Amino acid sequence: MDYIVQALRAAGGFQQCIFSLGKEDRLLQRDGTPVRVLRNESPSSEPVFGYSSAMWRELRGFDLVHLHHSLTVFGAYSLALVRSMGIPIVGTDLGGGERDLMLRGRSIELLDGIVSISQFAYSLLGTSFKGPHEVIIGPVNTESFSPALDPVRDRRRVLCVSRIMPHKGIDRIITVLPPELSLTIVGRVYHEEYYGILQNLAAGKNVTFIIDADDDTLLTLYRTSGLFVQASTAMDIFGNPHAKAELMGLTTLEAMACGLPVVVSETGSLPELIADPRFGRVFHNPAELTNIFRDFVAGAWPEADADVLAREHVTRAHGLEAIGRRLASFYGTVMGEHAKSRHVCASYS
Amino acid sequence: MRILFITNLYPPVLIGGFELACANVADALAARGHEIRVLTTWCHLPDNTAAPAWVRRELDLFFFVPYSSHNQTVALRDLHSAVCSSYANTLHLLRNIREFRPDLVSVWNPLGVGGLAMMDLLNLIGLPWSLHLGDRVPVDIVDVPDVVRGLYNACGNSLYAGARILSVSQHLLDEIEAMAGISFPHGADIVAGWADLSHAVPHQPYLREGRARFVAAGGIYQHKGIDLMLAASARLQAEGVDFSLDLYGDGELPQYIDRARSLQLQDRVCFKGPRAQSQLLPLYSEYDAFLCPTWERDPFPFAPLEAAGCETPPVLTRNCGTSERLVDGVHCMKIDRTVEQLAEAMAQVAAGKVDLARMGRAGQRLMKTDLSFARYLDRVEDALNDHVRPWDYAVADDPALPLLAFLKHNLSVFLRFG
Repeated sequence: MDYIVQALRAAGGFQQCIFSLGKEDRLLQRDGTPVRVLRNESPSSEPVFGYSSAMWRELRGFDLVHLHHSLTVFGAYSLALVRSMGIPIVGTDLGGGERDLMLRGRSIELLDGIVSISQFAYSLLGTSFKGPHEVIIGPVNTESFSPALDPVRDRRRVLCVSRIMPHKGIDRIITVLPPELSLTIVGRVYHEEYYGILQNLAAGKNVTFIIDADDDTLLTLYRTSGLFVQASTAMDIFGNPHAKAELMGLTTLEAMACGLPVVVSETGSLPELIADPRFGRVFHNPAELTNIFRDFVAGAWPEADADVLAREHVTRAHGLEAIGRRLASFYGTVMGEHAKSRHVCASYS
Repeated sequence: MRILFITNLYPPVLIGGFELACANVADALAARGHEIRVLTTWCHLPDNTAAPAWVRRELDLFFFVPYSSHNQTVALRDLHSAVCSSYANTLHLLRNIREFRPDLVSVWNPLGVGGLAMMDLLNLIGLPWSLHLGDRVPVDIVDVPDVVRGLYNACGNSLYAGARILSVSQHLLDEIEAMAGISFPHGADIVAGWADLSHAVPHQPYLREGRARFVAAGGIYQHKGIDLMLAASARLQAEGVDFSLDLYGDGELPQYIDRARSLQLQDRVCFKGPRAQSQLLPLYSEYDAFLCPTWERDPFPFAPLEAAGCETPPVLTRNCGTSERLVDGVHCMKIDRTVEQLAEAMAQVAAGKVDLARMGRAGQRLMKTDLSFARYLDRVEDALNDHVRPWDYAVADDPALPLLAFLKHNLSVFLRFG
């Protein structure tokens, strides 16, 4: 969200306001953008089950609403209100669950447009939604996520930045990690049992867990590691399937912006992030990851200028300016289409 | 004008005067040249042949007449469909709007048919609409949980912001404000009831043969004051007063017939069952006074006006809605809703201490002038006409509108029941 706001600001021509939910009404400012927190009226503590009828009052006068988590209860409720007010609305699925009402019930068709965070994410909605859509992967703030001015990298350190959850497939990295490499896993623990399994797998290997890293620590690790791996899986170690294991691998983009070569699994949207084998590889199974590690240890991969290539690619395709321009253009298209059609609005608008 | 009426009940299916009033107004406006369509619920009665073709019985009904389950889950679900949202009924409304293209939708009692979602639909479309209050509809809607009402922008006054409000009494508006905190910033038209006296006949002499003949008509229920009437009758009988009381109407008849018998009133009090409006009016001429000790919150019982129009003075609860229109001691006798005051009023009538003929004439004069149906209809017609404004048919034709209503209906169910 924060990156999107920055990207749109870079594009210019928009006044933005972020609406969110919280325990009580609040108004914040974030880099000059108002953040309006509305009191969550839901009895559920799950954010994606939240909603606020104050939107009737607060959204009046806006020209467009971009609804995130659009398939959740929050999304369905907000969609009902915004559509009732006649405001054009663009939706984005960020995971977090989905209501039957939105896909099987086809309420998703009430959206005026969809911004998907990957082709994979769009493929999950494309059969249900035939309106305007755009695939926008990112953005990443390439000014914040950038290589160090005088980079000193530990070529033997592999970095994995991920919440510690079974579908992140971190176990697959540890299992094939060769003795020549160390592995640093950065992420909060969301699944204690899985964390325990990872710790057992890591026994006797050079593996470090950092479960409370702040932004500066993370940036330092991006700037000083030798390789980034994201190993999400559609079938976790417990045998559980995950339909949306990875809608977009933002940490992979951040790593590339910092000049790190990356390795990703074939899961979900991750292969879409790998535009050039000189700085990125995709593995389909543990044997392939083993081979990639072997190439890396041997210096056969990546290319010598992989750091420059990776960063150039991210800046060009996923940077704030590039994404801001595309997003602004899409918003303009949606608002134009909306103006041509007659939608409900009337006395509620 | 092209006027689409929405009403939960329509004759011959009815509870009281308000449904009859809706039918009378629809008929009369049609007779004045307006194009009318009435969207209402099914009729299960065999005598449904007389309804005009413009009465569309397409809506489903979720309380009042159908069996109400004592199973809490079923009852709550029915209540939701009745007060909040019935998707099928919302679609019927939309289809009728698309077909009929009304200039205005006149909403009478929308409870029982999923009224909240229907009023929301009217707001979505931006179609001019009026709400004819004969009961405390907004209070019942406030009983819908906040989280569900929020979905329909129905927390506070917003739901009614674009509607023209017509109320049968100020008393009813005050009650709605007191109980639901809802007032109508744009104001409300007080359009009291009336009496159609076309079936009235000249009144017979009062207190014939020294006997006081009382009559009551309406629902045979506690809130209508049936218990009070029986208790007061028992007192009069104990005091040796020569009187009779005939009660017309349907309701909890077995219970009250039994009660009358237990009070040994079977020779004084007679339950005569329901009668059509046209049959009742000539009957009133035989009686000396009309009893209406209804509950204080009765928004506007019509029957006392009809009795007054037939020169049969009403004895009625001092602060019910109809009382706003009648002057105590001139057109009627007003009482506090107690057995003592009702018995006292009946005793005074029986003792000849009330100038019934003068009061009867005053009542009839009032009904033929200020409270005539023609004048009432003028006020309603003026209010509706004043509220009509162009609206955009294309908005109603938005193909996504059923989907939006579908989303809101299903969310309402989810938010209420999980």
